[in-house]
Amino acid sequence: MTLKPLKHNATNLLPKMNVEKNKLLNFQRYQLAFTQHLRQPKTSPKPAKVIKNRMAVYTEIVFNNIIDSVSACFPVLQNVLGKRAWQKLVRDFFIRHQSQTPIFREIPQQFLIYLETKPVIVNNAPLFINHLAHYEWVELALSTSDAEIEVANVDFEGDLLEKQPILSAASALLHYDYPVHKISKRFRPTQPEATYLLVFRDKADRVKFIELNAVTFKLLQLTNNENMTGRQALTKLAMEINHPDLQAIIDFGYEILQGLKAQGAIIGSIK
Amino acid sequence: MTQLGTAFTDTSEISKAKHQITGTGLGLKRELIPQIQKLFGQELIQNLNFVEIAPENWIGAGGKVTKDLAWFTERYTVACHGLCLSLGGPDPLNKSFLKQVKEFLINHNISLYTEHLSYCTDFNHGERGYLYDLLPIPFTEEAVHYVAKRIRQTQDILEQRIAIENASFYVSAPISEMDELTFLNAVLSEADCDLHLDINNIYVNSVNFGFDAHTFLRGVPGKRIVYAHIAGHLQEAPDLLIDTHGEDIIDPVWTLLAEAYQLYGKFPTLLERDTNIPQLETLMKEVNKIAELQALYCSGMFNDIKAIEAQRHKFTA
Repeated sequence: MTLKPLKHNATNLLPKMNVEKNKLLNFQRYQLAFTQHLRQPKTSPKPAKVIKNRMAVYTEIVFNNIIDSVSACFPVLQNVLGKRAWQKLVRDFFIRHQSQTPIFREIPQQFLIYLETKPVIVNNAPLFINHLAHYEWVELALSTSDAEIEVANVDFEGDLLEKQPILSAASALLHYDYPVHKISKRFRPTQPEATYLLVFRDKADRVKFIELNAVTFKLLQLTNNENMTGRQALTKLAMEINHPDLQAIIDFGYEILQGLKAQGAIIGSIK
Repeated sequence: MTQLGTAFTDTSEISKAKHQITGTGLGLKRELIPQIQKLFGQELIQNLNFVEIAPENWIGAGGKVTKDLAWFTERYTVACHGLCLSLGGPDPLNKSFLKQVKEFLINHNISLYTEHLSYCTDFNHGERGYLYDLLPIPFTEEAVHYVAKRIRQTQDILEQRIAIENASFYVSAPISEMDELTFLNAVLSEADCDLHLDINNIYVNSVNFGFDAHTFLRGVPGKRIVYAHIAGHLQEAPDLLIDTHGEDIIDPVWTLLAEAYQLYGKFPTLLERDTNIPQLETLMKEVNKIAELQALYCSGMFNDIKAIEAQRHKFTA
């Protein structure tokens, strides 16, 4: 599996449905006042005559549930922003984003869509937050991905030069503008720095991260996205960089591909 | 007196070959998986007859999650208890999700799917939004027709009957036109669906809204019970219980379960524990107690609540 850029994921929304307010049933108007208050207790009044401290039970448990579900996926982002800003951000997510999925595991992805589609409300938010959030989400996405490869098409001992190398079914070739894997409360990059990562789930279902250089990233893009054999991809790369010694590039690239196979990122070649 | 046999006769082609739940069960939490795997086949968990999962935690997942699920479906009868269908929600029923549920049930050979009589979505600017919690539907006549229609729609799409659970809640809607029991019975009858009876929720709501739990229990349509839930709750205030599934089951709730068996016969019953989860060994004590109550009260030898109380005290002493 190759993860698409988030912008594409954001289109994975339901078609807009138009229902006018006056078409709602009486109890539905009450329900919407109820949920509006849950989302925005400070500015949307609770439904008339509802007991205040009972309503407060819901405002508390519903938001706690949301923030727990989101926080579990983004420990670094949460830490970098600090508790207050994090709560403010998740509250804004709950107010402004209509979460589209009934699947609990997909709530963090809804948070990513929110980050991509709504302007950031946290003051002085670091520029890298969307990149960092995506990076943190990828681990969850790959650990539970149901992507599968037709095993019949894979030669596990196949020649990575003469055939197309195959990545683990649950894998992602990622390009970030910041060194997301190094970010912490103490390290907050302010300048962009192109960062290439290969993330994959191994045979034992562990998610692993490998940092790549730009050339290896390009090599894997060619084999993975353009279905090239190792030799075809390396030849193309050598031409692009005008390298005088094609064989040296091929030898070097072959070593890299074999190294990725040893680590479980490449599982074999196409038959 | 399990109702499963009759419950599925209408749409029998799918369900005939599948397993039906019996006896006692436990809600399957991730923490418990390795413990159950380790103790499988041992006496300590012999009363673990079935497990329950929320499809929203398992649909579409691969990797370790799927391997774990396969381990269970190969060894246990599994029931699906949904959380996010939002039967009472103001947005259109999520049919694409229901189709995923249907596929999931077929792929994993699961025959039973139940949901809550509640809602967990809203509808803003023509867009559905999930809030991921069980919210109370106002008990109005319009709501009865609305929810019953959606349950029928659900049963049509799934091509099987579903059961709905009486949910716990904390706010009573000022616009309600009837009490919870009247609402529940009206929906069950108009939708012609089964009942997933939650014993703890009866008790929680009886305290939160000041009604008699025994009267409520006697008023539910026993013939529709598919299985029951029992759990612990948190006492926030003398008149406010929170349905946390995080404590031991208290005595009045055990009494209600015993009374339910006495009234309606033995039905499968599952322990829910979702927070503050102890070791499996400790949880099995409550599961075993359910099994003992089933053995004791299904015989019909106790005819009134006082006898049940007396016997139960003897039993727990």
